[in-house]
Amino acid sequence: MSHWKKFWSVIGIIALILSLFVGTATAKKDVLVVMQEAEPVGLDLMRSSIQTTMSVCYNIHDTLFAPQEDASVKPRIAESWEKVDDLTWKIHIRHGVTFHNGEPVNAQAVKFSFERAFKDSLKNPHKGKLSAFKEVKVLDDYTILITTKEPYAPGLYILGYYLPIVPPKYIAKVGDEEYNIHPIGCGPYKLEKWVRGEEIVLTRYEKYYGPKPAFKKIIFKGVPEEASRIAALLTGEADVISGVSIHQRKKILASGKAYLTNQMGVMPYLGMNTYKPPFNNVKVRRAMNYAINRQLINKALFNGKAILCPGPISPRTFGHDPTLKPYPYDPARAKKLLSEAGYHNGFETRLAYPTYMSQIQEQAEAIAADLAKVGVKVKLEPYERAVMWQRYKARKHAMYIYWWDDAPEPDRYVYSLFNSKVRDYYYKNPEVDKLLDLGRTIMDRKKRAEVYHKIDRMLYNDAPWVFLYVIPEVFGVSNKVEYHGRRDGFLDMRTAKPKP
Amino acid sequence: MGRYILRRLWHTIYVVVGISMIAFFFIHLSGDPVMLMLPADASTQEIEELRQKLGFNDPLYVQYWHFATKAVQGDFGESLYYHVPAMELITERLPASLELAVAAMLVAFLVAVPLGILSAVKRGSFIDLGSMLGALFGLSMPHFWLGIMLILLFSVKLGWLPTSGRGGLSHLVMPALALGMSLMAMFARLTRSVMLEVLNQDYVRTARAKGLKERIVIGKHALKNALIPLVTVAGMQFGFLIGGTVIIETVFAWPGVGRLVVQAIFNRDYPLVQATVLVLAVLFVLVNLLVDLLYVYLDPQISYLEEK
Repeated sequence: MSHWKKFWSVIGIIALILSLFVGTATAKKDVLVVMQEAEPVGLDLMRSSIQTTMSVCYNIHDTLFAPQEDASVKPRIAESWEKVDDLTWKIHIRHGVTFHNGEPVNAQAVKFSFERAFKDSLKNPHKGKLSAFKEVKVLDDYTILITTKEPYAPGLYILGYYLPIVPPKYIAKVGDEEYNIHPIGCGPYKLEKWVRGEEIVLTRYEKYYGPKPAFKKIIFKGVPEEASRIAALLTGEADVISGVSIHQRKKILASGKAYLTNQMGVMPYLGMNTYKPPFNNVKVRRAMNYAINRQLINKALFNGKAILCPGPISPRTFGHDPTLKPYPYDPARAKKLLSEAGYHNGFETRLAYPTYMSQIQEQAEAIAADLAKVGVKVKLEPYERAVMWQRYKARKHAMYIYWWDDAPEPDRYVYSLFNSKVRDYYYKNPEVDKLLDLGRTIMDRKKRAEVYHKIDRMLYNDAPWVFLYVIPEVFGVSNKVEYHGRRDGFLDMRTAKPKP
Repeated sequence: MGRYILRRLWHTIYVVVGISMIAFFFIHLSGDPVMLMLPADASTQEIEELRQKLGFNDPLYVQYWHFATKAVQGDFGESLYYHVPAMELITERLPASLELAVAAMLVAFLVAVPLGILSAVKRGSFIDLGSMLGALFGLSMPHFWLGIMLILLFSVKLGWLPTSGRGGLSHLVMPALALGMSLMAMFARLTRSVMLEVLNQDYVRTARAKGLKERIVIGKHALKNALIPLVTVAGMQFGFLIGGTVIIETVFAWPGVGRLVVQAIFNRDYPLVQATVLVLAVLFVLVNLLVDLLYVYLDPQISYLEEK
């Protein structure tokens, strides 16, 4: 009997201890908890190109311009600007803006930030994107001239993403390493604390020049497991979560506790090695485009939410040719084209893809099955991220699937992917090169769009890729919060607010 | 005894040098971090510049020499991703790993040892059958699945515990339980079989013949001897637990060393991988040394004194 008494008293004590910890984590109305797949690797925007890192940074740092979804820009630190000539912009800096430590945001700070972006020891991964710019000249405390080496149409848009304005005095005092851990920015939120591996707490900067964000605090957490992020959203521990795969979306909607945003997108594409047979023949490349049933893949894997791409420029992006229609699914035509190219019985080939891409295995299998129907036997080659990239650069792939963000500015990716000066691993077209070089120099938006239409059509006909689709990536958002997400996928929380 | 410990520590140096070489050469064979560090649209020139700057163009043995000479001075280099000293990252994460490993061990021991003893004493009974079936269940249950089931039950359904992260005791309960479950099963089976063997020994019969209470016969005479294999296994498992709990750390977003090193491997963050592997190797060796020393306490017949 005494044994049982002891047993129950131990159980009782354990239950009591447990009950002390029960019922934690109820988010207050002025605190927003955001869960991403990983925590940032640092908080200096000039030192990382990782999405989860940049997302946190955009809440702390501000840039000269606010990039828009149609690839235009709106004022931010820059209050107004005018084009002096095709190589020069005169930018007026907003008065009275301060960094979180009180340091003034002025022309000197912009010049310092610009020069810092090119500092060797910083290893800024965005340096290449800023390479079109030549220099920043200070005219007075609140006016600068920024010049480019050649006319560069996407210039302001690029500055809006990749040139955060940083405090010269603070950085001189603490150094670059410390700045990466304890940054001072001029954005809507300032860093309160970062417990590495656990959380980053940002508090609203009350002297922010722009519209005051609704939430007083934002807590960013890195939770790598999707099921755990979703559980946190459903229990109310998290208000916004990223990385929700398509097959989990129903669960969130069915819970009645959260909803999904549908702003951002990634654009997977299937590249072919156009330097070697069989893909050196344009008929074979077109046949591949006809052979793959993208409508069915869209329906089966993405609930019909993906947007089919006619050409290399996403249908949501400035400059895409609106007259182009996606290659239809037409296996008979594909077979005919293969026959004309001399492949009466099809051929064998390889399809490489990086294993870290979401739902990639299913996509690759569906593509291989479609190609088998027209006689093309595909060996699937899944590769880990680094190996995939290494083999890509070494021109070892025959066919490969990669992806790019569904970026609003065509120059951001079409130039990088098709200009042979940047990469010519699997395709080179001097005509496209010329047009891409031209496209970025035309300052008139309408004339510029015409150049990209030509590029889009030219690549559509030459078919160096099988043009696939844009897959909308979503965020899960608690019903208590209003947040619409952004097409660039960055979790800039200045627009989030509690629902009334 | 002191000489024995010194000799064991001296062996640690061999282990560490060997491990550091293996880790170094393997991670360098597995791919270049430079291309992963730059965005997809970086030019060949940018890639080459960064590679030169980080010294990846030097022959491998030169790179190892640079690494080793710095490492002996305690400088393991800066993480290529976090831009902070690799050792700093590890020391930040180590307490979380130790906390989880200790908690899982405690959970496992507290349940498994009494259960194992009970099963052995009441061999063939309903309790024995039930607990061994439970142990089999615990052993065959994947960590990952169990972790998610616990979250669904205790966080989503009941709302008792937070889903993930590290904080108070409430954050520790589920990861410790998920991790401790298979250990619990393993220890329970081990305790049972060792106890069965020990209970048949002459000294146990003698103890009983002396008229000692059954509780003392089992708790003092039998258990102490049964503990030796248990401590050996537990020691090995503890070493694994510190660095090898990646899945549980991932499910519960637990900021431990395991996830850090796996992420570092994916990112080809050479300095961080090397430093973590070394730290884990040293810890493993030390834990095993501790286990060897525990034997002396548990069984005075074991001695590490020099033989004359």
